[in-house]
Amino acid sequence: MDKETLRRLELLNQLRLTEEEKASFMKFFDERYEDACSLDSIDTSAVERMVHVMPVMTVVREDVVKQNFAREDLQKSAPETDEGYWCVPRVVE
Amino acid sequence: MKYETVIGLEVHVELATKSKIFCSCSAHSYGADPNSHVCPACCGMPGMLPVVNKRVVDYGMKAGMMLNCHINRTTTFDKKSYYYPDLPAAYQTTQWFAPVAVNGLVEIETSKGKKSVRIKQIHMEEDAGKLVHDIREDTTHVDFNRTSVPLIEIVSQPDLSSAEEVEAYLDRLKNLLRFAKVAECEMAHGTMRCDVNLSVRPEGSDKLGVRTEMKNMNSIEAIKRAIEYETARHIDALEHNTEVLVQETRRWDDIKGKSFAMRSKETAGDYRYFPDPNVMPVVIDDEWFDAIQSSLPEFPEVKRERYINEIGLSEYDADQLVKSIAICECFEDAYAVCGSAKDSANWLLSECMNILNARQMTYDMLDIDGKALGKLIKLVSDGKVGRANGKKILADMFDNRDIEPESYAKENGYIVSNDTSLIEKVAKEAIASNPRAVNDFKSGKEKAIMALFGACMKQLKGNCDPNTLKEILVDQINKI
Repeated sequence: MDKETLRRLELLNQLRLTEEEKASFMKFFDERYEDACSLDSIDTSAVERMVHVMPVMTVVREDVVKQNFAREDLQKSAPETDEGYWCVPRVVE
Repeated sequence: MKYETVIGLEVHVELATKSKIFCSCSAHSYGADPNSHVCPACCGMPGMLPVVNKRVVDYGMKAGMMLNCHINRTTTFDKKSYYYPDLPAAYQTTQWFAPVAVNGLVEIETSKGKKSVRIKQIHMEEDAGKLVHDIREDTTHVDFNRTSVPLIEIVSQPDLSSAEEVEAYLDRLKNLLRFAKVAECEMAHGTMRCDVNLSVRPEGSDKLGVRTEMKNMNSIEAIKRAIEYETARHIDALEHNTEVLVQETRRWDDIKGKSFAMRSKETAGDYRYFPDPNVMPVVIDDEWFDAIQSSLPEFPEVKRERYINEIGLSEYDADQLVKSIAICECFEDAYAVCGSAKDSANWLLSECMNILNARQMTYDMLDIDGKALGKLIKLVSDGKVGRANGKKILADMFDNRDIEPESYAKENGYIVSNDTSLIEKVAKEAIASNPRAVNDFKSGKEKAIMALFGACMKQLKGNCDPNTLKEILVDQINKI
């Protein structure tokens, strides 16, 4: 793990790490990377891709409209609403 | 040096389902109050679990079959990390590792001939919400009505090389998906959106150049302009070193006619896709697969051949009809009732088109009852209703789908009169008040009779068999 990769991960995860945390994460990722690399030694060419750890499949629902929730209830926990909208800090200049 | 453009498209199509992809909220909220079609699931409330809408998978499969794709019988959903307030969960549920359809092929035709475009994959995913920035200066307002509306994204291989090919490809996708009735595909309504991946390389080279992705084109015309601009920008950079090309996403500004850089370097890794633990794999068994396969419509080119070889239409008429499933269905219903393929095609391609054009409607917006059209055509061809009055009835049928042509014609006095004494009376009056036309006709100017003919038709409100009227007029003039 180099500093540039860690900086990228910080950015992608919207995090700001202290120097101490950075050092600890570098060590952590190096170890995990090594663990992951050990998988490369196994020949999986003849193994079918596993989609899920359990042999399960999703249930599906019919295409029927149900409107069970009132906007007022959904917005009760919102820090700020206006004219039926949720308000967030401005995202454009 | 000569250059060639290499283009791949990512086309988002909104599926025509009633409810959203993972919850039961309505998928149709155009013009609705903000956040009036939302629930804890599509608002991204913690702990909410998605439940897959079966029809989304039906339509995803169907779209895949229409585009000659292989259908993944076990298809899975994945999370795509995405920090932006239009998707409240901070990820989009989409498909990455096992999309519903892969490896398709679509044939297009341009002025340079036929060409096959490979489809990399079709994946199902949820749409994002809408952000409004102009209500207040300090905040962005969020409306989640569109969040989780089902989309498919059709990803092509970089097989296209010009704006003309892109237009042909989009037309073809639209046509096939509308035939399958899985989507409206109307760019003006936002139900079809297209991102263009473009690069330029020296002609004959097998190495791809630096690729840019362009977004924000709202019409096929805008897409064509954007491709032309971006191609010129790339060539200029390569030829004259005007700028260094970088892999980036650019926003097309159709008013300025320019593209602008949006986000820096974007790769799949940035999105950190991972299997969505909240949605189990969708397993398509034989019964489900077969049901969708047997529900596929007759393909446009198969229809075209049938129209030409079995029904006897001209190639031109057949080509025009198969541009739209709405037109085809109306044609087939009308033909079944009136028994004349040629008349049915003529009425649709001339009279109906005129009305659609006058109302600034597209082919696919045709919404008249084909069987009623067939009855109207028969009334006109049997001489029971004059053609001009037939057109009036047709225009009224566009406003009222329930009109039954024969009773409507009777109610409104559009039935042709067989009362020859009335026709003779009107003809006599016309002859008496147009002596000049009579003299012209008698002196050999045969066309002069049309003035008399027109005057009579006006008087009879079009309710007269034109041949009978002509015979009576000639007969009476000859008696003078």
